[in-house]
Amino acid sequence: MSTELFFVQLINGLQYGLLLFLIASGLTLVFGVMGILNLAHGSMYMVGAYLVWYFVAVTGSFTVSAILSAVIALGLGILIERVLIQRLYNRNHLDQVLLTIGMIFVFNSLQSILWGNDPYGVAVPDALSGSVPFTDNSSYPVYRIFAAFICIAIAAALYFVVSKTRLGMLIRAGESNREMVEALGVNIKSLYTIVFAIGVMLAAVSGIIAAPMRSIVPGMGESVLITCFVVVVIGGMGSIKGAFVGALLVGVISTFAAVLMPTMSNMIIYIFMILVLLVKPQGLFAK
Amino acid sequence: MIFEKRTERIFLAIFFVIALCIPLFLEDNSFFVGKATTILILAVFVMSLDFLVGRVGLVTLGHALFYGLGGYLFVIVTPEYEAVNFWIYAMYIMGISALVALVVGVVVLRTSGIYFIMITLAISQMAYYFFFDSLEFGGNDGLFIFMKPETSIFGLNFLNLDNPTHFYYLSLLAVLVTLLAIKIILRSRFGRIVEASRLNPERTEALGYNIFAFRLISYIIGSTLAAYAGLLFALQYGYVNPQFMTWEMSGTALVMSILGGMGTIYGAILGTITYEGLQYFFEHMSEDWMLFMGGAIILMVLLLRKGLAGYLEKLLEK
Repeated sequence: MSTELFFVQLINGLQYGLLLFLIASGLTLVFGVMGILNLAHGSMYMVGAYLVWYFVAVTGSFTVSAILSAVIALGLGILIERVLIQRLYNRNHLDQVLLTIGMIFVFNSLQSILWGNDPYGVAVPDALSGSVPFTDNSSYPVYRIFAAFICIAIAAALYFVVSKTRLGMLIRAGESNREMVEALGVNIKSLYTIVFAIGVMLAAVSGIIAAPMRSIVPGMGESVLITCFVVVVIGGMGSIKGAFVGALLVGVISTFAAVLMPTMSNMIIYIFMILVLLVKPQGLFAK
Repeated sequence: MIFEKRTERIFLAIFFVIALCIPLFLEDNSFFVGKATTILILAVFVMSLDFLVGRVGLVTLGHALFYGLGGYLFVIVTPEYEAVNFWIYAMYIMGISALVALVVGVVVLRTSGIYFIMITLAISQMAYYFFFDSLEFGGNDGLFIFMKPETSIFGLNFLNLDNPTHFYYLSLLAVLVTLLAIKIILRSRFGRIVEASRLNPERTEALGYNIFAFRLISYIIGSTLAAYAGLLFALQYGYVNPQFMTWEMSGTALVMSILGGMGTIYGAILGTITYEGLQYFFEHMSEDWMLFMGGAIILMVLLLRKGLAGYLEKLLEK
């Protein structure tokens, strides 16, 4: 592999890893704070991508569509938590698994009813459509760099909110001792609603950012869901820092595997995950 | 009496009477006999999962690995154009599956809780992509079974697997044997210790039992039963492909077993029939059957706290 190809692949891998982090962060946040394994998390990613595709087709503006889609996703998150998830806090985890599997069915079906089963693509917004020269004969698309920076910005914002703000303090407190937070007079119910809605929005925003880079197809949610599981398990369930490291590792490893050993590329991240769990049964950044 | 609850006895009595009679009414409709056979085979698979998840406490999302393995092993170990003996090869395949379960079990049982769910998922995904990407195992198309095995025991042959009705009864037998086997295991000393280690691992360990060994043996039993179900499914349809091993397959089985009532074993049969019945009904009602199926699943989670079996028990146990 030439140095040039190596760097292009490395950047591809990191960029893919950052996107994975953005999706996985919502999953791990919701699990860490609320103890809920949301199998429908991938569906939220799909919803984001389809919404932005739909609004771009209607309004023509990517920015407007992205904001609209993110706001709708936030509302959807609040609605789902209030109507469904809230009823299951005192039930066992398997009931939550069952509920969120039911949600996957519903979202997949709604997608096919509303938008059909054809694959779609979203055009890269004009302002970001060029590419940056990389070496003499290769270049890198501006949108991918932009996407990577958005992911980094959101990661930084998430870090700031969780570690520096009052909301973040409550989130961390709720993680370690739910009853105590409640006893101190904090409305844990609305805290949970907020956290779940943020989780949904993070997934949807990932879908929005991914839309111009990947094709929008039925079933896109499930494939990304499984990869996200790998990410959060490698990092340690519930740890946002872990999700960040796990996502970059998975992004880089799977990108290089696709180039170096195509016949095994699909298996490689699972092998990596199993190896990590054999050494650290709770993931790299276990709590 | 190994069936302790009244509800359980009533349900199983009704189930087996109806199941025994179904081919008599549907003799001329091989489609429905085939459909019923598939449900019975799935019930075996779901019961083996229910045993692991509900009774041993091993929540696996990779159970379909063994379902697919049962099918693949048959094509791999049997000669292509020769009808082998079903019973001998079934035991042979279950033996190999048990060995695979031993190796996989030693790896996955190092983790627990949510990590156990994820590592079982990862291993089955690995196997899925292994078969999916392999040329010698037919890739995405899978492998075909050209010759169905013959089923003679000591020269006596009363089952012909090409006959749907005969295959149906073979599957019903599998349901009965699996049910009895799991029930007998659970009532034995071994089963008591396994359940104790689910309910209170620390105390069981303090009593001097090696929990790991008990869980490993249970994992092997559950996985081997799943492999048998997969073998039957592959033989019924005459092929095996990576779709047998998808996480959706494992997930659906988990849904069936939670729906039926986790850990009740007979609930697994109830859950499988209900799920397949609903799916069949919705598929014929509308193109968007998944919407109704998802809605029905969500409603049932919200309304039934202990699955369908729990609901029946509330009605029948006084």
